[in-house]
Amino acid sequence: MDEEEHLHRFGTPLEPIQKDAVPAKKPLAIEDQVVKDENGKRRFHGAFTGGFSAGFWNTVGSLEGWTPQTFKSSRAEKATPRAQQRPEDFMDQEDLGEFGIAPQGIRTRDEFAKEDEQEKRSGQRRRKLMQPEMSTGPIPGVPVLEKLLRPVRDKIAVRVLKSMGWKPGQGVGPRQTKKEKRQATARNKREQYLLEHYGAEGLPAQKENHADKVDTEDEDEEEDEEITFAPDDYEPMFFTPKENRFGMSYSGLSRDPILSKSSSSSGTPMQHINLFGQLEKQAKGKQLSIRGQAFGVGAFEEEDEDIYARDDLTRYDFSLADKKTKKKKQQFVQQQNVIEGFSEDKSGVALQAPFAIDLPRDFTPRNWLQRKSRFAPLDRARARELEAATEYKRSGLGRHDLNPDQRAQLLGEKKKEKSGEKVESPKRNPFKDPGKSLLERINARTEGFTKGGVITESGEELETAVSKEVKTSNAAIQEKAAAKTAELGEYKTSLSNSLPNPTCFLSGPSNGTFKPFLQDEAKQQRYEQFVAAKLKDEAEISKFLADLQPVTLSLWDREMEKKEFIQAAKIYRPLDGLMNDRFVSETTVQAEQEKEKKKSPEEGKIVMERSKTMWKPASLLCKRYNIPEPFGGAMLEPEKELKAKSKISVFDYLETSVNTKANFQTPTIIPQHIEKPKPTPKEVEPPVVERLKSPEPQQPEKPPQEEPPKSTFVPKTPLEKAVDESRDKPISEKKDLFRSIFEDSDEEDEPKPAEKPSSNPQDKLAALQEALGLPSTSSSSAASLNVLRNTSPPRGIFASLFKPIEEQVPKEPVPPKFAPIEGNKLKISYKSREERLKNDRELAMAEVPVEDVYGPKLPGSVPAKPVAPEDKAEASIDAKLQQLWQQHAPQKRKAEKWVEKKSPSSSEDSDDSSSDDSSSSDVSSSSKAKKAKKSHKSSSSKKSKKSKSKSKSKSKKKSKKSEKPKHKTKKKKSKH
Amino acid sequence: MPTFANFNVKTTIDCKQGAVRAVRYNVDGSYCLSCGSDKKIKLWNPISGLLLKTYGGHADEVTDVAGSCDSSYIVSSSLDKSVIYWDVSTGTPVRRLRSHAGGVRCVCFNEDSSVAISGGRDNAVMCWDIRTRRLDPVQVMKEARDCITTVLTNENRIYAASLDGCVRTYDIRVGELTCDKVGEPITYLAQTRDEQCLVAGCQDGVVRLLDCETGGLLLEYKGHQADDYHIECGILANDAHILSGSGNGHAFVWDLLEGKVLQRIRISDNGGVVHSLATHPKRQEMLFARRRDMYVFSADLQIEEEQL
Repeated sequence: MDEEEHLHRFGTPLEPIQKDAVPAKKPLAIEDQVVKDENGKRRFHGAFTGGFSAGFWNTVGSLEGWTPQTFKSSRAEKATPRAQQRPEDFMDQEDLGEFGIAPQGIRTRDEFAKEDEQEKRSGQRRRKLMQPEMSTGPIPGVPVLEKLLRPVRDKIAVRVLKSMGWKPGQGVGPRQTKKEKRQATARNKREQYLLEHYGAEGLPAQKENHADKVDTEDEDEEEDEEITFAPDDYEPMFFTPKENRFGMSYSGLSRDPILSKSSSSSGTPMQHINLFGQLEKQAKGKQLSIRGQAFGVGAFEEEDEDIYARDDLTRYDFSLADKKTKKKKQQFVQQQNVIEGFSEDKSGVALQAPFAIDLPRDFTPRNWLQRKSRFAPLDRARARELEAATEYKRSGLGRHDLNPDQRAQLLGEKKKEKSGEKVESPKRNPFKDPGKSLLERINARTEGFTKGGVITESGEELETAVSKEVKTSNAAIQEKAAAKTAELGEYKTSLSNSLPNPTCFLSGPSNGTFKPFLQDEAKQQRYEQFVAAKLKDEAEISKFLADLQPVTLSLWDREMEKKEFIQAAKIYRPLDGLMNDRFVSETTVQAEQEKEKKKSPEEGKIVMERSKTMWKPASLLCKRYNIPEPFGGAMLEPEKELKAKSKISVFDYLETSVNTKANFQTPTIIPQHIEKPKPTPKEVEPPVVERLKSPEPQQPEKPPQEEPPKSTFVPKTPLEKAVDESRDKPISEKKDLFRSIFEDSDEEDEPKPAEKPSSNPQDKLAALQEALGLPSTSSSSAASLNVLRNTSPPRGIFASLFKPIEEQVPKEPVPPKFAPIEGNKLKISYKSREERLKNDRELAMAEVPVEDVYGPKLPGSVPAKPVAPEDKAEASIDAKLQQLWQQHAPQKRKAEKWVEKKSPSSSEDSDDSSSDDSSSSDVSSSSKAKKAKKSHKSSSSKKSKKSKSKSKSKSKKKSKKSEKPKHKTKKKKSKH
Repeated sequence: MPTFANFNVKTTIDCKQGAVRAVRYNVDGSYCLSCGSDKKIKLWNPISGLLLKTYGGHADEVTDVAGSCDSSYIVSSSLDKSVIYWDVSTGTPVRRLRSHAGGVRCVCFNEDSSVAISGGRDNAVMCWDIRTRRLDPVQVMKEARDCITTVLTNENRIYAASLDGCVRTYDIRVGELTCDKVGEPITYLAQTRDEQCLVAGCQDGVVRLLDCETGGLLLEYKGHQADDYHIECGILANDAHILSGSGNGHAFVWDLLEGKVLQRIRISDNGGVVHSLATHPKRQEMLFARRRDMYVFSADLQIEEEQL
């Protein structure tokens, strides 16, 4: 027991087996164990447990899955003996792919394949041939031609060799023991190296001695004489005697054609051997490349270093053995290898000091190979020279290097009076002002471009003829309003007094840099004050400007000016101002953070904020909570799209502050100042803690933080505002928005001589009958015949479109945008107010519900306007018309006749047709045709025709006219 | 004025389900539920410490659990983004409700257990209709800007506390969303029995008493360590004491009105966060969860008598 107490236990002990619990039965045998997934379904099937799943999700044999191949053969129908099964039949597609176990691809047949490829295929490890494959010529690598042209068959010699037991890759010769082979290998390697690096003029003497060295080193190694190896394959060195008197290692141009060269595999030319190669090597250590090359490196040019030279590990000595003995030997050996007639220099004295050359006195070393950059700083002497050359410019003798001010000074003229804040900065080259930032410099530069009017370089405005005119005309008006403006002037002065320094206050936006309204000085002044005031709210702006603007300005002008100012404030902002808005230096950020840190412990108090918004509980939720839906379920659904989605996407939850439609703003060049989130109407509760606790001395309220001066005003255009406001509104409340959007088009349409909707019901009836009676006249007759159309007047957005424009008429007489041009053939008639009212009445009339009208019923609350008897008649006629149609549909002719009788009653159409001279012969018929055409044209029903507004475009009419003759002819035919 | 009697440990249960994520009483306090990090829910008798049932089927840690009003169903939330509706007696999941885009943090039933409300790390509060077999939420409230830590409901309101420092009250009757901004991340929310006040455990180590009507801050309770843990708080059945866990193995009991610490319950001396707790709906009794253990503390002496 003692021992047990001392034991330390780790882990959770197993639960003690309860007495009642029956011990588990035999453990399951392996074959009974079944792999199941988390849903308890058997996932794996197969011959044995833990096998494979048959098909995708065990679908084998099912309808969706694949069916295994079957073999069926009966006496009547013998199964066709299938072709021999190939392993590919059992392989997957990917096995045959590039990375599969049996890749398939196009390749050369064995006969044509290169040796090494054959080797690769046959599985033998490729043995590196000793002979150099790389050409040492100007083009490194395996010769291209050799690659391309390969003999189909082995050469006979090769075949003979092969028959004698030689294999590719092996050398030719008697078999060697291991030791022999090693020696041979070493020798060959060295030779090879020499060949590669020094060409044919290798060092034959050194070779031997190296071989000796290897020999001595390997002496003590035990040898196994029995095992012999095939000798290495190597390219034996051939020595060609020098027969000509060319320079060393020079071979003249070969007359042989290129292809006749027997063995191109060994890149080295074997024509001659250079006996003095050794000497040359020692002197230069480099291959002298006077070769038989017709082009390329010239004799007097230095060849590039052999950039493709490959270092070989065999060149390095890795042995850790004592090298003293070696050295001795080498010395001894080397002495042996000295060329006859020479003896080795034993003094070992290094090279003497280099020649001391007497340089000429005025010699300045210069690297002539080094190229000079144009942009590098000039050297001193040259700079001086240049300076001297341009001296006259610097001294101001260059005529165009002076600005007008300077010239004026030189000439003794008086400078023109300029506005105070115009800084007299040297304008000559704003880019050379070191004190300014680049942006400022750019601004200074661009300043001249942005202003209106003609401005000299110094920023002075040349009074253009136009501005003069304006001024003279203004003068008269201004005199009139002198009394008023005097009062205004007082205000102005008081305003300017209140501002400590107007010029410095005009920070950023118009600090003497941007004067968009220079043509009108008063306006410019107003603009500057406007900018200085930094107003944001539009109402504020208009109020502010109303105080500033002279009374002479019309309301419309005022409004325009306001818009201009806002626009100008937006546009004429210096670039650095923009950048200031965008970037904050890190230090300020840190400082702010620290401030916050300091604050938090002091304040520590948590001020509860409460905000309330509408929220619509789902009706089912209300039901489950046993609560009636608030407002009887009539609340607006804020997010309908969410409901529409059956599945909730992950993206719903992502914080898409930018991507929501509400937050999206079209990017503008002018960065919008990030408005601090305005506190939505919140009921900020006073901290109640203080109520309960002993009243602590409340910290004095901080003075309202001053707006950072860099905050800028980016007003929205009225249209933008309207869109913003109406975004949440129901469509019915968006009239104003639509009106503002379509305002222009309305104005355009309005003055056009839109045809007055004929108020005469009979005329209409006639027209319709005309259409019905003549199905052949129009292709769109089906549409026009559709009597059972929604005849309710346009509502919603359309209603607002067709609404009378009286409300829009400004109180001030607005100058018409498009004055009717005289001589224009188009008849431009402005509708009188009475006419418009008439249209309205018609609109209202159209709202009167008619029986047999198809479509949603109108709300009963619509105040029914007194229906004129005429209108009543019209309504009843419409009803009758349907009956008529049903009755007389087949009797087209009859209907037509009936119509013709009625037609002369149309009074208005006669006016129209009078303009049409061509149809003078049969006025009535042409007008009728026109009517009919009209009914075709407007795909809407007969009812909506009544509500046809003045906005009906002229183009329609034109087309009608063009088609008129056709109708006429047809009509005549029908008459006969 | 109810007198305060110190709480003493009654039972200690080793839940054997990894770290205990939450402990909850059932509707009448006769049973308790524990959620483990081993994806299981266990039903216990808190007095005897008897394990009654284990509910397995979640694919990740179970974060919260609630029992229905008739104690025949359980709804549980898990980090596997699903809410499961369990049958208590059979122990099988009746319905698995998936719509949350993140792990579900909290879940509760409404009064008649016809609606389950869950809140998750996807900042969404979802109301699930339990009566029908509908598998998508009846309503989703996504006003919160951060993880929902607690959802509560009474007969006409839904409260959702979020780490964005706001308590949002969805008033179903009025059709209004009231957002009370505390400013500190709220890790837990509890409601007084009279439904007048809310107790919000905040991340800055302060438990705050909020007035439901005005949204005012009534009192602050300090003393415990909140650190970075989601520490729960509660109100005892008599609505006179406020309770909170702590980061150092202790639990605190405050007087609701005066805000002073009445008892500092030392649950364990060797640390461990007391992060979850539950108060008995009727008695002066509570559950604490610390590491892998569940503790039952009680001030009532009668229970022992009853037991005997």
